[in-house]
Amino acid sequence: MSNWIPLWLHKLSSPPTFYRFAGTLRPWMMAFALLLGAIGLYGGLVLAPPDYQQGDAYRIIFIHVPSAWMSMFIYGVMGVSAFIALVWRIKLAEVVAMESAPIGAAFTFITLVTGSLWGKPMWGTWWTWDARLTSELVLLFLYLGVIGLYHAFEDRRQGARAAAFLAIIGIINVPIVHYSVTWWNTLHQGSTVNIFGHSKIAWDMLWPLLTVTLATKFYYAASLFRRARTDLLALESGKEWVRQIAAREGKR
Amino acid sequence: MKNPGLANACAAMLRRDLTLAWRRRGDIAMPVLYALIVTMLFPFALGPEDSLLQRIAGGVILVTILLSMLLALDALFSSDIEDGSLEQLVLAPQPLALMLGMKILAHWITTALPLIVATPLLAAMLHLPAAVIPVLLLALLLATPLLSLLGAVLVALTAGTRRSGMLLALMLLPLCVPAVIFAAGAVAAAQQGLPWLAPIVWLAAALVLAVALAPLACAAALRIALDA
Repeated sequence: MSNWIPLWLHKLSSPPTFYRFAGTLRPWMMAFALLLGAIGLYGGLVLAPPDYQQGDAYRIIFIHVPSAWMSMFIYGVMGVSAFIALVWRIKLAEVVAMESAPIGAAFTFITLVTGSLWGKPMWGTWWTWDARLTSELVLLFLYLGVIGLYHAFEDRRQGARAAAFLAIIGIINVPIVHYSVTWWNTLHQGSTVNIFGHSKIAWDMLWPLLTVTLATKFYYAASLFRRARTDLLALESGKEWVRQIAAREGKR
Repeated sequence: MKNPGLANACAAMLRRDLTLAWRRRGDIAMPVLYALIVTMLFPFALGPEDSLLQRIAGGVILVTILLSMLLALDALFSSDIEDGSLEQLVLAPQPLALMLGMKILAHWITTALPLIVATPLLAAMLHLPAAVIPVLLLALLLATPLLSLLGAVLVALTAGTRRSGMLLALMLLPLCVPAVIFAAGAVAAAQQGLPWLAPIVWLAAALVLAVALAPLACAAALRIALDA
C-alpha cells in the first residue's frame, strides 16, 4: 500500500533519524549547490549576452532574483513548519522553523542590497519607497522579529513556539510581497518569469537564472540541515543518542 | 457559587481595569505628555515654517501617536502577570479571548482615547488646516484600536520574557505599516481636497478583521507564552 510515505515522514521527524538523514544528505546538497551555482553564474555572467538597454548591469538579476524568490520561499517553509510545530508540537518542525529564519533573513538582506546596487545606475537612487521594496523590507523585519523573539525566552522550546506564532501572523506579508508589483503600479518592474505560461525573457538569460535558483534551493537545504543538526544536538543533549555521538567524537 | 453570566463577567473585567487605571490617573496623562513633547520637537528640528509644518503635520501626528501607544503597550499585561491575576484569567471558565478583548478595550480607552482627545491640540501646534482635523480624528478612531489589537497579540507573545521593550517595537512596527499608510493617505487626500473615503474604508475593514481575530490570536499567544 501507499502508506509508507506518511510512515517514513513520521519516522523522519524523530531527532536521531533526522540527524543521520541530514548528515548523509548535507554534503550532496552542498556539492549540488556549488556545482549548479558555478554553472549558473558562468552562464549568467559570461555566456549570456548583454541587455540591449542596460548593458552588463542587468547581470545582477542572477543573484537578486533567486535571492528574492528564496526570501519568500523560506518564509513559506518557516510558516508551514511553524504551523506544524504549534498544532502537532513536533520538535523537529520547531527546529526547522527557527533555523530557517536566519537563512531567510540573509537572503532577504542580499535581495535588498543587490537591488539597491542595481537601482543606483538604473533608477538613479539607492532606495525608493516603492511597494515591492517596502514590503521586502518589512519581510526582513519580520524575520528579525522572529529571531529576536526566539532568543528572548530562556526556555528554547517555549521561545520557538512563541516565535512560530509570530511567523504565522507575519505570513500575510508574503502574498503582499509577491503581488505588490501587480497591485500597486510603482517603480519596481513586474514579474518577467512565469512558471505557468510564457516568460518574457530570452532563453540565454533564463537558463542561468533557473540554474542559480536551483543552486540556492540546494544551498538552503544544506545550510538548514547543518543548522538543524547542531540545534538538535543542543536540544537533545543528555539523551542517549547524543551521548553516543559525543562518546564517538571524543574517542577520535 | 453561581456562575456569573458572560455579560456580567465582561462588565466586571472592564470595570476592574478602568478602576485600576483611574486609581493611577497620572499614568493616563503620560502618553499624552509624551506625544505633546515629541510634536513640539518637530518645529524646532525642521524650522517653524507654516507651509512645511502643514505638509508633514498629518504624518507626524500619526507616527507620534503610534509611538506613544507603543510605550504604553508594555504595561498591558505586566502588572497582571506580576500579581498572578492573568493566570487566574486563563483558568477562568469564561472564554479567554473575550476577557482579553475587554482588557484591550479598557487599555484603548485609557491610552488611545486621551491621545485622540489631545489630537486637535497637536494638529494646531503644527498648523494643520481645521477642515482636515475631522478626517484625522476619524482615521485615528479607526487606526488606534487596530494598533491596540495588533499590539496586544505581540505583547501576549512577549509576556514570558524579561526584556521586551525594544523587541516589541521590532515586531510591532513592521506590522503597523499598512495602518499608517492608509491613515496618512486619508489625511493627505483630505488636505489636497481629494476624496478620502477609500483609505478610511480600508482601515475600517482591517479593524473589523482585527476585532474578530486579534482577541483569539491574543489568547493563543498568551497560552504559549505562559506555557499553560
